[in-house]
Order: sequence, then C-alpha cells, then structure tokens
Amino acid sequence: MNPVTILIGALGGDGGGVLCDWIVAAAQSRGRAVQATQIPGVAQRTGATTYYIEVMPAGAPSSTVLALNPAIGEVDVALATELLEAGRMIFNGFVTPDRTTLIASTHRVLAIGERMAMGDGSFDVGRLLRAVKERSREQILFDMDQAAEESGGVINAVLLGALAGSGKLPIPDEAFEAAIRQAGKSVDTNLAAFAFGRGHARGELEQAVREHRKRQTAAQGVEDLIERARRTYPVGTLDVVEEGIRRLTAYQDRRYAALYLDRLDTIQALGSGELLREVARHLAVRMSFEDVIRVAQAKTSGERMARVRAEVRAKEQEPLEITEHFKPGIEEIAAILPPSLARRLTGWGERTGRLGKTYFSMQVRTTTVLGFARLRLVAGLRWWRPRTSRYVEEQAAIECWLRQIRGAAPLAIELAQEIAETARLIKGYGDTHKRGLANYRRISDAVIAPALAGRLPPRTAADAVANARVAALSDPEGESLTRTLAAIASTISTLKQAAE
Amino acid sequence: MLDQPAAQLPVSQRTNPERSFTEEVRALRLGEGEVFRGEGILAVTKAILQSGVAYVGGYQGAPVSHLVDVLVESQDLLDELGVHLETCTNESSAAALLGASINYPMRGCVTWKSIVGTNVAADALSNLASPGVIGGALIVVGEDYGEGASVIQERTQAYALKSSVWLMDPRPSLPTIVRCTEMAFELSEATNTPVMMELRIRACHVTGEFVAKDNVPPSISRNRRLAEPAAHNYDRISHPPSTYAHEKIKVEVRQPAAERFIVENGLNELLPGERSDLGIIVQGGITNVLVRGLDRLEVAGRIPTLVLNVTHPLAPDQIVDFCKDKRAVLVVEEGAPDYIEQAIHVLLRKRDVDTRIYGKDVLPMAGEYTAEVVTEGLLKFFAQSANDIDLSGPRERFEAARAGRAEAQRLLGGPLPLRPPGFCVGCPERPVFSAIKLLEREVGKVHISSDIGCHSFATLAPFNLGNSILGFGMSLAAAGAVAPVMQKRTISVMGDGGFWHNGLLSGVASSMFNRGDRVLVIMQNGYTSATGAQFIPNTSGNRRDGETTSDIAATLKAMGVGWLRTIRTYNVGTMLKTLREAMSTDDKGLKVIVADGECQLARQRRIRPQIAAQLKRGERVVRTRYGVDDEVCTGDHSCIRLSGCPSLVVKPSPDPLRTDPVASVNNGCVGCGLCGEVADAAVLCPSFYKADIVQNATWWDRLRWKLRSKVIGAMAS
Repeated sequence: MNPVTILIGALGGDGGGVLCDWIVAAAQSRGRAVQATQIPGVAQRTGATTYYIEVMPAGAPSSTVLALNPAIGEVDVALATELLEAGRMIFNGFVTPDRTTLIASTHRVLAIGERMAMGDGSFDVGRLLRAVKERSREQILFDMDQAAEESGGVINAVLLGALAGSGKLPIPDEAFEAAIRQAGKSVDTNLAAFAFGRGHARGELEQAVREHRKRQTAAQGVEDLIERARRTYPVGTLDVVEEGIRRLTAYQDRRYAALYLDRLDTIQALGSGELLREVARHLAVRMSFEDVIRVAQAKTSGERMARVRAEVRAKEQEPLEITEHFKPGIEEIAAILPPSLARRLTGWGERTGRLGKTYFSMQVRTTTVLGFARLRLVAGLRWWRPRTSRYVEEQAAIECWLRQIRGAAPLAIELAQEIAETARLIKGYGDTHKRGLANYRRISDAVIAPALAGRLPPRTAADAVANARVAALSDPEGESLTRTLAAIASTISTLKQAAE
Repeated sequence: MLDQPAAQLPVSQRTNPERSFTEEVRALRLGEGEVFRGEGILAVTKAILQSGVAYVGGYQGAPVSHLVDVLVESQDLLDELGVHLETCTNESSAAALLGASINYPMRGCVTWKSIVGTNVAADALSNLASPGVIGGALIVVGEDYGEGASVIQERTQAYALKSSVWLMDPRPSLPTIVRCTEMAFELSEATNTPVMMELRIRACHVTGEFVAKDNVPPSISRNRRLAEPAAHNYDRISHPPSTYAHEKIKVEVRQPAAERFIVENGLNELLPGERSDLGIIVQGGITNVLVRGLDRLEVAGRIPTLVLNVTHPLAPDQIVDFCKDKRAVLVVEEGAPDYIEQAIHVLLRKRDVDTRIYGKDVLPMAGEYTAEVVTEGLLKFFAQSANDIDLSGPRERFEAARAGRAEAQRLLGGPLPLRPPGFCVGCPERPVFSAIKLLEREVGKVHISSDIGCHSFATLAPFNLGNSILGFGMSLAAAGAVAPVMQKRTISVMGDGGFWHNGLLSGVASSMFNRGDRVLVIMQNGYTSATGAQFIPNTSGNRRDGETTSDIAATLKAMGVGWLRTIRTYNVGTMLKTLREAMSTDDKGLKVIVADGECQLARQRRIRPQIAAQLKRGERVVRTRYGVDDEVCTGDHSCIRLSGCPSLVVKPSPDPLRTDPVASVNNGCVGCGLCGEVADAAVLCPSFYKADIVQNATWWDRLRWKLRSKVIGAMAS
C-alpha cells in the first residue's frame, strides 16, 4: 500500500509550516496515517525551503515506515507558493510527467540575484511555464498572490484550497476546513482564502489576469506633430514616436518635440523601420534626461497623489503625509546654470575638493502647501532649461550618438542597431548616470570608433558592441566591461596584423 | 518607534517573541494513556519529563531549540514538578550543568546544536565523562548534517568515541524516539556514563504520535531540597590521580556494561527477512530512507536489517551474530569518517568472521544520504553481492527518473536563481552593512572578520562582505593576526548573542590584553535572532524577573575599552561617519561600535497586537512606509544592491519607452527608513518617498488634510 506523497516548496514567510500542520491535522482527523517533516533552518529568513508529507490510504497499518525524504520521480502532488519554486522542484527531478500534479502560484517573487541586476535580471518566465507544462502530469496554476489579496486571506490557505479542489488527497473539504478552524488563527480570512483556492482549482472561479499597464503621457495641442509622424513613418513605429512627441512636449515644449521629429527624419532616411523604432524609443528617453526640473515635474504632477495613495494602500479619508528625499550636490546645481557659470562653479568645486563631496540633504514634504510650492517652483523652471549647461551637454551627446548611428547604418544595419541600443546604459542620477555615461564612452572609443573608421568589420563590431553592453550591465565596478574591452582590443590588433 | 534602543524597551512579553508554544505546552501535560501528537523534538521534551528529570538546560540552535523554548513557556509545569530550567549562555555552560549528576542521583538533560555546540562543550564533556555520573545524564544534540544544514563539517560520533560517552541515533519514529529517551537515562545510570542522543533536522521536525505517560516529579528537586551536600569523595573529581582510574573504568567496566545493557534491553532493532545470506546494518536515523529504498527495489521485508539505535558502543556479540553465516552485509552510515564500518571490520576480523562488508565503497563517503543516494548504493550493493535478485525493473525506473531530471534541467536552461537566506524586512543589521559598503567606496576594500548569527547573511548577496567565519563569537579573535599585517584596520562583526556566548572573553578580553588595534562592531538587537529570538543577558527583561541582566556597553567600559560608541543602526549617515572615525582615529586600542536596534522580527511580533488594539479602540495611529516614484526610477537598482531589503522589489516599468524594470516597495515594508537613508547617504536618486498614513485621524488631521489638498490640487493643475 503506497502513500500519497506531497512536496511543498515555499518561501520564508509564506506560512508553509502552517500549511503542513493543516494537512496533517486534516489527515489525522480522518484516521489516516500521516507524517510530515521539514528543513526550515535559516531558510525561513527570506530563503526557500521545502516540506514533505506522506499520507497513507485508509486501512493502512499504523506501523508502516514513512519516508522523511522526497525521492525523484515519486512525488504525487507538488505545491509551490511561487513559480520559481515550482521550477526548482522540477529542476531537482521531483516533479514528473508520469505522476505529479503540480499546484503552483504563477506569480514571481524575484530572488536577490534577479533584483540586484543593473537592468532586467529576472529569470525567463516562458522557460518556467514551459517546464511546468511539459514536466508535470496535471497542473493547477493561477496567481495565488492575487487570489490571497482578493480573498483577504493569505497564500498558504489559498494553496490548501487548491489542494482540496484538486481532489488528489483522500481527504474531504470539511476536514481541511475543520483543521483551519481548529488552528484558531484568522479563521474567517483563512476560510475565505481556502474557498477561493478551491474555486480556482475546480474551475469555478475565473481569474482576471492582472495586466501591467504602460502609462501614456498626457499632452495637448500636439495633433499636428502626430499627424506629421503618421504621414512620414511606418505604422510599426508610431506608438513609440507618438509617445515620444507627447513626452517631450510635456517635458519641454512643442518646439522640442518638433526637434525630436527632425532628428528622427535623418534616421528614417536610413531605410530601416526596426532601427527607426529603437532610435525613436531611446531618443525620447535621452531627450527627456533626468534633471531636477524633471524630478520636480514628476513629483508635482496631477495624478501622483492618487498613485501614491493606491501604492501605500491609504484608505479613503485617511490623511497622508509624503516626505521626499533629495540630496542635490554642486553638480546638480551647476547643471541648471548656463554653461559659463556652470564651468566656474564646478571649477571652484574641484579646486576646493567639494565636488562630489558637498551635498545638500533636503527632506521636502510635498503634502504641505509650502513644500509643494517649492517643488512647483522648480518644475516651473522648464522654460529656462534650454539655457542650462546640462541641456547643452546632452544635446551634444545626442548628436554624437545619432552621427554614429548614421555612420554605421551604411556599413551594417546591425551595427547601427547595437549603437542605438547602447543608449540604454545612460540612465539615472548622480553616480549611476556618470558611470553609465563613462561606460558608453569607453565602448564608443574602444569599439564604435574603430568600426566606423573601418578598422573592425561591421558585423564583428555589432557583436562586440552587444557584448560590451551586456558586460557593462553585469557589475557596477566595471570589471566585466574592462575584461570584455580588452578581449575586443586584442581582436582588433589581430585583425590589423592579419591585414598587414 | 524605531528610535527606541533595544536596551530600553519595556518588558511586554516574557515569552519567545518569535513564536508562541501554547499548543506544545499543553502537550507536555498529557497523562497516562493520552495520545501525544506533535514533532520529534517535542516528543523528546515530553519523554524527559516522563523520565523524572530534575534539571534541564541548553543553548539554542537548529534543530533542537524548541526543547528549551517550549520549556521556557512551561514554567508553571516545571514549578509543579520541581524541575530546574537553565537557559545557558553557551554549550560549555550547558555541559557543565550535567555536573550535578556526578555527585547526586538526579537525572538531567541538556541540549545544543552539534557539531559546533559539542566543540564548545568539549572541555566540560571530557571532565563529565571521566568521573561519570550516578544520576542519568542525557545530552540531546541536533545533528545538523545534510540538506538545509548549516554545519555539515563533522560528526558527533567522534565525540562519543573520544570522550567515551554513549551515542543514540534513534529511528525517526515518535515511539522509538520516546523509548530511546527514556532508556537513555537508564543506560546512563546502569553504566555511570553520560548518553548523547543525536537527532537530524528532519527527525526533529517529523510529526507523529505516541501514547503518553504521566510526568514524574524528581525525587531530588527544587521542591525537595537536600539538607547536606554529597560527602567529599576524591574519586568523583576529575583530577589526577582519580583520572588515571577513570580512564581504566571507562573501558574495563562501563563499556562492557553498556554493551550488555543494549542487548538485554533490545535497544537496537532487528527487522527480519528471508534472505539469510544478506544483511544490512543501518544507523537508526537513516532507517526510513533505507526501508523506502528497499521498497523501491521491490525487496522490502526480504533483507534482514539491524537498526542501530545506539551507534556507540556497538554490542560486539550482536554484530558478530548478525554478520556470521551471511555472505555480504551492507553498512549504511552517513558521513565521514566511516567509524561504524571500521569498527565492524575490526570486530569481524578479530572473531575470524569472513563476511564481506560493503559500505563506503558503494555509498558516498560524505554528504547526506538522500533517497537517491541510498537507492544508488543499494543497487550497487545488490549488483555486487546478490545477482540472483532481478533489479532490472526498479533500475529502469530509477534511471528514467534521472533522465527526466536531466531533461527538465535542459528545458529550464541552466541553474535557477538561488534564494540564499538574507536579512528580514526592516532588519536593524542591514544598515550597518550598507554603511560598510559605502565606507569601502571611500577607503577601498577592508578585511572583514565575520561571525555566526543573522549578520553572517552579509557574506551573501547583495552585500558579499566578509573574509572568514571561525565560530560563534570568534570574529574579533579571528582578526588577531590579520590586523597587524594590514595597512587598513580590520573590522570584526559580532552579534550580541555571540558576544555573550564567547566573544566577550576570547575576543574582547584577548584584544585588550594584546593591545590590538582593531575595530569591532557589535550588533545589539536584543536576542539570538537566528535561532528563533531567544533571550540573552542584554535582552530587556530576562525571563525570570523582568530585569535586564547585563549591559554590553557597561561591560565593555568595565573591561577598559576606551573608544566606544553606541549608534542607532538605521541612521546610515551616522554609522558611516562613526565607521570612518573608527578606521582613522589615532586611538591604537580596540574600537567598539555598538550598533543598536531591536530585532525587527521580534519587534513586529511585539507591536503588531498593540497597534491592532489601538486601532480597534479608535486611537490615532500613524503608519509609516516607503515608496518609489516609478516615474523617477530609471531601473539601475543601486538601492537594491546597497540594501537588499526583501520588500524592495522590482516591477515592470510603467514607462512605455523603457524596458528595464523599476524598483518598488511592496506591502511588506515596515517603514524602517533604510531605503531613504541609503538613497541619502549614497546620493542615489530622488525616487524614494516616505508616506505617513494617519489612521483614525482626528478632526484636526482631516481638516488640515482637506485644506492642503485643495490648495495643492489647485497648484498642480
């Protein structure tokens, strides 16, 4: 007589231990021989852990020796409170297509390695889902995090409900519900979450997939510019270009948005729709560079309060106080001065050693009239922006980048695309921005310039730019980039020798 | 509220702040004939009370912490029975506690995590085992070996062998565990020897049931005190020349007595089987894996198996009787070295039994004996010793499962992101490491001597800080010979748990004595948090009378530490400034920074019910949490690399023109403020905001809010 084997994968804080207790209590109440064990250890502190349960069918002798360890290929039901943990049980061979019913939440809680990446470091969800579908016998999949939220309960109770709903255990629903009641904690919400989970597992509840919405910028009086774009550019690029027009109008003014289109026209002439779309995207981001004026604009925009209230879950009627953390330094101040004054200020900062050292730590409360007014005043400096040193610098850098793209396109369109994409490195504030800019320059000097000068075959150069970009995003210290550029440099010298 | 230093908090809860054991406490009161249901370690706790222990002690550590934790909450029961409970400051003090059983016929039980705890206890253990005991002495150790373990390096078996104490390794089934616990006291008394019982992590947490007996009040106890101390008897003192005699008695008297006792009382189990030519000898703790493995190979119940619930000493006659007339015997012994297998070889060789012994040749020398490992070993064993058994079916299934796993791994395309343990949301220790990272930006890399405790998570992502871990409370001592050869000062990090456990003497006293020019950071969070928030001497309010016993800063001052700063940890700027000063001051002595902030896990469990009650009463409560303006964040994630807070997550960018995900604060945020502090100290970006949400607002709050919203709304549009 074989036991039903259950393996649970959970994150610390998901309540896996309590889930385990519920299952054991429910089995015991029906007179089933049951055994559970776990390896919590320090994994409870944000780590991942597993629980293992065996339940004997009715009539099994109580002296049966049950196992404490799951075995590959011998798990009947696998439960996971998160998608990557489902993936881990598959990876370890416990979930198999001939036997295992996989009950898992589809939401992701990113691991620290995924979160700390300088760009997008998250594991490919497509791969996870494919493994889930191909490597298990049956699947019950839904976003249990969302279900928990909607039911007002917690995820472990949703999972228990899904287990009950799967019908894979010789235990009726009432026994599970009794176990929840008997445990005596948050009984009502847990029962609600249980019912939700069971409903989902039985297909009685439909889950509206929570869509991630991209927010469009609101801007008025740009119809003619949008009309101009529609006349000129391929349909496939228009969503990006139109957003660019709206954003730059809101960021600066109509004229600035027109400049955006003028610049895009020179890229359109290169004849690649794909290239045009990528450049349009990056160009709009680059032209709306982050300065204190933009930050003030964002922090005082009309929709912000509603957004913050939703995010921090403030209930209606609950007053809210928002405190902003600012720390401008000499460079931020210089950025909004005209170039000549800015040079004198940074020159003084360098001489006195204050540059990069002296900052003005400010905490502004934007929910007070005075605090808000201060930021509104800074946001109102928009008209002054074209006279600032930062504006002048950014426009020069943008022109240089566009020239490189235009120069590369006739050599190889891939190279032009890679150069366009490398603009992704330039983002953020302070040190982050400086590092990104410096990395871009290093790639520009080491790869793009030699390629444009004909010292590197264009297709090789395209790969090299892509590699260097990935390397630049892999560690903040730039060690990876240094290694990659050194490798590229040696390629260039080999090519040179071969040519000679 | 976060400003409140851990040392000055009111005594609000005497019980373990991490978990309440109400149910478990109830289970300890079960009487004759009632059915006990629960985990293995709780079964042991019940069994020692059924055995009439007079005293219990221990030092916390996974997976045995619950033994003492549950008893801490069972003070009423202990008072009724007269059982003394000592929450020891380290394992050495726990082992020395058993000294009571040397002179008095009192049963005692202590517990700790092996192998680390046994190492600390070693001195007392030798000198306990030498004179021996007249009252049963039991040491319950958590054998933390294998999956989920934190100290897999060594086996407790070595201590049993070298100190001549007996080692039980019960089959992980509650009735067996309970019987072994009860028999351990009798074995101890019959042989005048302390007995150890090792329980692996899964055995400690295994659920099950057994029929309880009444608890037995000890005959000598707090409630029944002795009028006179034991008569002076030099034979009971671990000092020469007594020790010369002890050494002989151990092997000439006690061990043979133990061997007899084990056989006469049937401590080891014989599982019968029809194959008289084959046999398996297995450590009790590994039995379930083995039995399921045999079942998997469809030979369950066919192979005679000797289950060693006692792994030291072995009963020679029992081993020889089992092995003789068999062609081949497999020894299933987890871990290195193969003490049991070697001992069996010697026994058989001396008695001229030529049974072929298999063991580490078909099973791996090191590592956990999981289902897969044992199955593979069994397949090899049968292939070499009994080719008449047809294993083709099971072998095929086993290979298919492995091939399936390989296929799954191919589909997933390489290793999955790891989920190492890390600091909790709002942990007061994280800001210290953020400050150290910022310090390293200024002065370059620093040698960091790490320690045991939650703070050892700083050696993992995203901090990746730390050069060595030598043991609990050892970080300062471990920098002793590094500091003199470094141009930059070394930083040793130690928890308050580690400080009282060992760091005070082996670290601080030694460094002072040697005039060490080093920096020590003591994380004062008020508990030994990594093991479940047990109380320590500086916890505000000890478990007995609510007084704070000892203060770390006062202790350091008394020891002569001149450069001493106590800093609230959440203030990253101040912490950075203080670290900078410690690294550069002209003071050549020991520089200590006490990083003060209550364990957030403990704090949340303490204040959550309070806040819920306040809200229910309709009182004004301000809830603070942080957020990120997703429009301002550009997705570089420096903030995550510098803080690693679990509530600081990433989400898809709402910007249609950007692809990199942006940072976001989720609802786990407890408003500790670290993300804002880091953004400020590291000059990161202006994305972070603090939101104070007023719950149960007063009329004034609401009026002000209305007015402000009106004016601001007009300005925004």
